[in-house]
Amino acid sequence: MATKAATVSSESMRTVKEETPFAIVMRRFRKHHLAMVSLGVMIFIFVISVFAQQIAPFEPDEVDVNARFVAPGTTVDGKLHLLGTDNIGRDYFSRLLYAGRISLTVAVLSVLVSELIGIIVGSIAGFYGGWIDSVLMRFVEFLLTIPSLPLLLIVSSMLIRNPDLIPIPDAVLNVLGKVMLLRPSDARQAVLIVIVLAGLGWLTAAQLMRGMILTLREQTFVEAARSLGASNARIIFVHMIPNALAPIIVDASLALAGYIVAEASLSFLGFGIQDPIPTWGNMLSATQTYMYDRPWLPLIPGLPIFLCSLAFNYIGDGLRDALDPRLKQ
Amino acid sequence: MTSYLIRRLFQMIIVILVSAAASYALLNLAPGGPLTGLRQMQQNSRFRITEEDFARIRAYFELDLYLPVRFSRWLIGFPSGPVKIFGQELFANVPVGCYKEIQATFQDAKGNFSVRTIGCKEYVYLKDLEGRRVSKGVLRGDFGNSWRLNRDRPVVDLLVSRIPNTVKLMGISTLLALVIGLPLGVYSAVKQYSRFDYIFTSLAFMGSAMPTFFFGILSIMIFSIVPNRLGWFYLPAGSATAVRDYTIPLLGTVKAGSGLDQGLHLVLPVFVLTIVSIAGWSRFIRGSMLEVLRQDYVRTARAKGLVERVVIMKHALRNGLIPFVTIVVFTLPGLIGGAIITETIFSWPGMGRLYFLALGDSDYPTAMAILFLTAVLTVIATLLRDILYTIVDPRIRFS
Repeated sequence: MATKAATVSSESMRTVKEETPFAIVMRRFRKHHLAMVSLGVMIFIFVISVFAQQIAPFEPDEVDVNARFVAPGTTVDGKLHLLGTDNIGRDYFSRLLYAGRISLTVAVLSVLVSELIGIIVGSIAGFYGGWIDSVLMRFVEFLLTIPSLPLLLIVSSMLIRNPDLIPIPDAVLNVLGKVMLLRPSDARQAVLIVIVLAGLGWLTAAQLMRGMILTLREQTFVEAARSLGASNARIIFVHMIPNALAPIIVDASLALAGYIVAEASLSFLGFGIQDPIPTWGNMLSATQTYMYDRPWLPLIPGLPIFLCSLAFNYIGDGLRDALDPRLKQ
Repeated sequence: MTSYLIRRLFQMIIVILVSAAASYALLNLAPGGPLTGLRQMQQNSRFRITEEDFARIRAYFELDLYLPVRFSRWLIGFPSGPVKIFGQELFANVPVGCYKEIQATFQDAKGNFSVRTIGCKEYVYLKDLEGRRVSKGVLRGDFGNSWRLNRDRPVVDLLVSRIPNTVKLMGISTLLALVIGLPLGVYSAVKQYSRFDYIFTSLAFMGSAMPTFFFGILSIMIFSIVPNRLGWFYLPAGSATAVRDYTIPLLGTVKAGSGLDQGLHLVLPVFVLTIVSIAGWSRFIRGSMLEVLRQDYVRTARAKGLVERVVIMKHALRNGLIPFVTIVVFTLPGLIGGAIITETIFSWPGMGRLYFLALGDSDYPTAMAILFLTAVLTVIATLLRDILYTIVDPRIRFS
């Protein structure tokens, strides 16, 4: 779509410098002010998370039993606890930074994996049609009708108690452990949550992709590719998927918001990543019992969850306006 | 129509059976359960749990039976002994489980130890099931006994004590969300780009991005903790009734367990659930109304000179609400499944919290019962949606 718009504008206004599709999308995106603000906020949060180790004044699991429940801004032994300490005397600010890194990594990985599965399943169903299509899509529809939280809870509670059920290559754990600043054995927990979230989250992406493929299948450029003798795989991967990406990208940014909340909800209910590994969700759940006397303790980790969720929703909204103006309501 | 319904009924039964089997297998694959800790106690000489004790406890929870046998006993209460045909006992010596397992410790290449079952010392035969306690089967309304939450008491008792609370909570909030959210969404669509529309859509946007647990905690702080501290009128949060009498400014003393007490405890969880639903639903309605308002037949109606109110209420609304049927119908499984997060935050004694507690406590019969009910209601909701669709939109036919 974007390519078409580019040719139209360059033909009608020859004096105007030709815009690349990317530039057009960026120009439209910039018009959505809230999306731009959200993008700024998210870049800020990502940068902070990348430099968590350098910014954090304490180790995330460094316990000081003499400094439990220190109020924000208190200095203990010459070191400042910017956001105070939690119930066992860990620096809240440092934990928040590390938690951000873990929560965001889990959400991003879940989006990547689930969109990938969705793209593959959706393209297969849409391209081949027939019984493959009906079997796959009935399955997807069935899973979509089941209330998702009970399902998420049951699967993740099984995996938490039986972490070795799914074999995960050590190389993956080592790399992700480096990314999340975790020991490889702790990284396994995060990977399991990704598997749970993505395993149940690819359904809408598959439906979207199937719909796009169905319309693209009838287009002349696909017919042209086929008449030139292109293989099915080539048609799907080279010609169809790139043209179907716009709604997938929008879906991905909205899904990112969903996964941040879902991961936090799982951690909040105690079926996600477990303490002492910090995530925003389990920090909130660990301190919610103290909300009567120290209301900032649950509020502080809740705020970034809300901010990220809101920001990715706005970014998704802005991307929809920018990538596919026809969808604008 | 009749043949369609019969075909659908068959499909429904199959879907329910498959999902029940899948969740049963999933729950039973997990280690833990009521035997957690027994093995360690077995090694500790202080407790003196013999192998026989262990096997007996295992058999008490039916964990010695093979999974398909266990599932069939859970579902229909069969087999409960040898099959009797014309006074003839059949299959009496077919093994259906393993009473005492042979276990061995293995060491893998990395030096980790793991205990695995390698064989069976003593089998359970079909004839041994005679006289064992067996549930009448789910299909006859018996969900077996709870393992932990209500130890050795029927799961049904637990469910019966929780269902009214959840239905009350979900029913009121769904109704409120409909009554408030529907007109708001329609109005917002009719007055597109107005100041009201702008403010309302932003609020709804934020509401649907807000994580429920954060919203719940915020509202407890704002409406309960802070005003309570300041000596203002506040709302009690947590549980469905108070344990002892309490005093609220403006209202005076509230008797624990009275109607007023129950009502006051309902306000906050209902508020949270309602706001979350309104945010999502009104956005949905606004979207589908906008789509309909753009269509030609609406323009025709306007061109005929109809009053705007008639155009919207009679022409646009009917079609605009069709997609919304799906969403409303699928609150049905929620009536039983409950709102897990909201109920947990407010310690509301409903089904959602029960499910959460059951999973955390490895009380699998209870968790299984809730999952089963949810699956049944989901399937019923799907059928209801399809039937409602044909009623509100005559273009859609049964097929």
